Amino acid sequence: MADNAATPPVRLVFEGHAIGAEAGSSLLQAWAAAGLPLTENVGCMGQGVCGACRVLVRRPGERLAGTALACETLAEEGMQVSFLDHFPARRPHAYDLHALTDSWTALDQIDAVFPEARNCRHCSGCDRACPKGIEVQRMVNLAAEGRAFSAAALFDHCVMCNLCVAACPEHIDPAHLGQFVRRMSAALTLRPADLISRLREIEQGGQPIDFEAPGANPPEAKAPAASPPAAGSQGRP
Amino acid sequence: MSGGIPHAEALAAWRARAPAPPQALPLPVPDLLERFHPDRQPGAIVPLRIGASAGLSCRAELAALLHSDSLVEDLDIAGAPLLEADVLVIGGGGAGCVAALTAARAGARVLLATKLRLGDSNTVMAEGGIQAAVGAEDSLQRHFEDTLRAGHFAADKALVAALVSDGPAVIRWLIQEGMSFDLAEGSERMGGTLLRKKPGGATAARLLSYRDFTGLEMMRALREAVLLAPGITLLDRHPALELLTDDRGRCAGAALHDLGQGRTVLARAGATVLATGGAGRLHIAGFPTSNHYGATADGLVLAYRLGAALREVDSFQYHPTGIAWPPSMEGQLVSEAARASGATLVNGLGERFVDELETRDVVAAAILREIAEGRGIAHGSGQGVFLDTPGLERAKPGILGKGLVTLTHLARRAGFDAAVEPFLVRPTLHYQNGGIAIDPEGWSGVPGLFCAGEVTGGLHGRNRMMGNALLELVAFGRRAGRAAAADARAERPRNIGLTHLADWRRALIAQGLPLTRKAPLVFPPYGNFDMATERGRAA
Repeated sequence: MADNAATPPVRLVFEGHAIGAEAGSSLLQAWAAAGLPLTENVGCMGQGVCGACRVLVRRPGERLAGTALACETLAEEGMQVSFLDHFPARRPHAYDLHALTDSWTALDQIDAVFPEARNCRHCSGCDRACPKGIEVQRMVNLAAEGRAFSAAALFDHCVMCNLCVAACPEHIDPAHLGQFVRRMSAALTLRPADLISRLREIEQGGQPIDFEAPGANPPEAKAPAASPPAAGSQGRP
Repeated sequence: MSGGIPHAEALAAWRARAPAPPQALPLPVPDLLERFHPDRQPGAIVPLRIGASAGLSCRAELAALLHSDSLVEDLDIAGAPLLEADVLVIGGGGAGCVAALTAARAGARVLLATKLRLGDSNTVMAEGGIQAAVGAEDSLQRHFEDTLRAGHFAADKALVAALVSDGPAVIRWLIQEGMSFDLAEGSERMGGTLLRKKPGGATAARLLSYRDFTGLEMMRALREAVLLAPGITLLDRHPALELLTDDRGRCAGAALHDLGQGRTVLARAGATVLATGGAGRLHIAGFPTSNHYGATADGLVLAYRLGAALREVDSFQYHPTGIAWPPSMEGQLVSEAARASGATLVNGLGERFVDELETRDVVAAAILREIAEGRGIAHGSGQGVFLDTPGLERAKPGILGKGLVTLTHLARRAGFDAAVEPFLVRPTLHYQNGGIAIDPEGWSGVPGLFCAGEVTGGLHGRNRMMGNALLELVAFGRRAGRAAAADARAERPRNIGLTHLADWRRALIAQGLPLTRKAPLVFPPYGNFDMATERGRAA
């Protein structure tokens, strides 16, 4: 990391620790640079795809705290920040994707697994909680009407941070509902013809692999000396 | 290394010459690699001094960990709580999830232990795609040969054959788990064709994708599947510190550290699948990394101490296009999808200098050469070359907004518009080409110990092709999960303990290696948490 000795540090309070952060550093970088232990609430460290580093953030002058991802949010003067611990969804929104074979009953399935989706009270808490700007509430409403593809499309950018799950007063578990409609759409309707013909060809033995083909050996050495060292011991116990 | 060409000056040169014409490498590939690849530099490689692969060439940073002593003593396990399972899976990324699902569906009771949280892994960060030979003009044989050639013919042919043969079935399996794939323009969901791109070093368009966040799409489906699967017990925040052995040398599970409670927990299992991923957070040769926070080579340390052999641990992959500026995003990846779609690389003089679709080791070495020879572009404290995304947008209008979403977001977070200004890129530590030697069932050679995913070696030789990592983790996650479930049914460990450590410590002493250095690392040093100190084992 570059040290910008010229710019004064940004002062903020993180989990009760008053720390100074280098200007331009993310909240996650500020936490680690302050010497604080980082053993959870961290994953991809900046790509913004894993949803692990969830924080509550309040800026000076704001009355309410908002949610964000610490790797994507830059440290600002006067911020108050705390991690939101990961909690696994323990509510029984259980289904077996493999048992779901009849697309005529898709709506019944959504109703059966996520009955609360019909109870959405349009508070938009989920929309405010989402760090990716997904229209979560609209997805919930579309899914409850059985409009699976439209609902699935809205959840394209979900990073599974579960902040919408925490925000929902009706226990709808929007993140898991979103994954349910996405997974169902793929598993029930995606049937590429090129893949299917190749699979059939392989099953009929039409795609053999030749270890001794010219392209499978180094250009100069024709001899099959290219076989690499084998695993530690030979054969099964 | 010289100071490079100032950013503003380089921008002017790039504008004046755009679009720059293709330029062949002026020196032969072997010379380029010899002189500029980071793994070929003096002092980079040392021989391993103890263990099953003593004498094998190894990256020095990794060898230091492999030459270390255990964090666990007999005392720790004497009164520790005991968990029981048929199959213990260590690692909650893609390979671990696939192995756990496969083993559970084969009837095994599965414990899935992960250091961070389920899904926190390199898998979720994979952008480009997954290879599978589904095109009419393509074949398994071509995929086989491309993979061997890209790996400089160092890979194990039996493993590569298993990998490419599983390809199409892996895609079907993923769709059945609810993963989506992009379809060719105007194609139908039922009876259409998959969108295929050509990965660097391939002879056919074979890369399947979901936008430019294929790994995220895969991990979302896998994570939900694991959370909903009956028969899988999940242990978040439970890094493995040492594998357990029985009195016959069979792997019997692992000693885990429960980070929440700060105590040791024993997981006893009939068979163990190690799926701990890579080593980017060792920051080999001082490079930044595109890897997730937990990639600290833990699995290599554990398996090696138990007697598993390693291979190609002197070969790492430096992805050509890591972000070089701004510093807050240093090392993050700009997906190869950009180059696969036609984006070019341009030096400080506005010139191209390599075929952008060459294999990653060649492109990375070519970029390092530009920087070393003064044609790099200096911006703040960093240096790099341009990835010409504006040129790509001009050639294929709309591609940044629709096809390369992650890339466009990345630029926005860095404070510029990818359609107007090129990225400043420089190689970033990306992948561990080698690892634990396995057979086609994922067996490590140690009874009861199976491995899958980036922790293994032999599939990629000395250079991995884009799209073979996601394929590997599913193909070998399934193979290892299936084999572990079957193995656990046949054999159970008895008299479990740490019997292997006595021999290990004797070997360390015989070689004059200190017993004070402890591994696995678990977290990188800047995580401000030292496992040895935490457990009272610090030197």
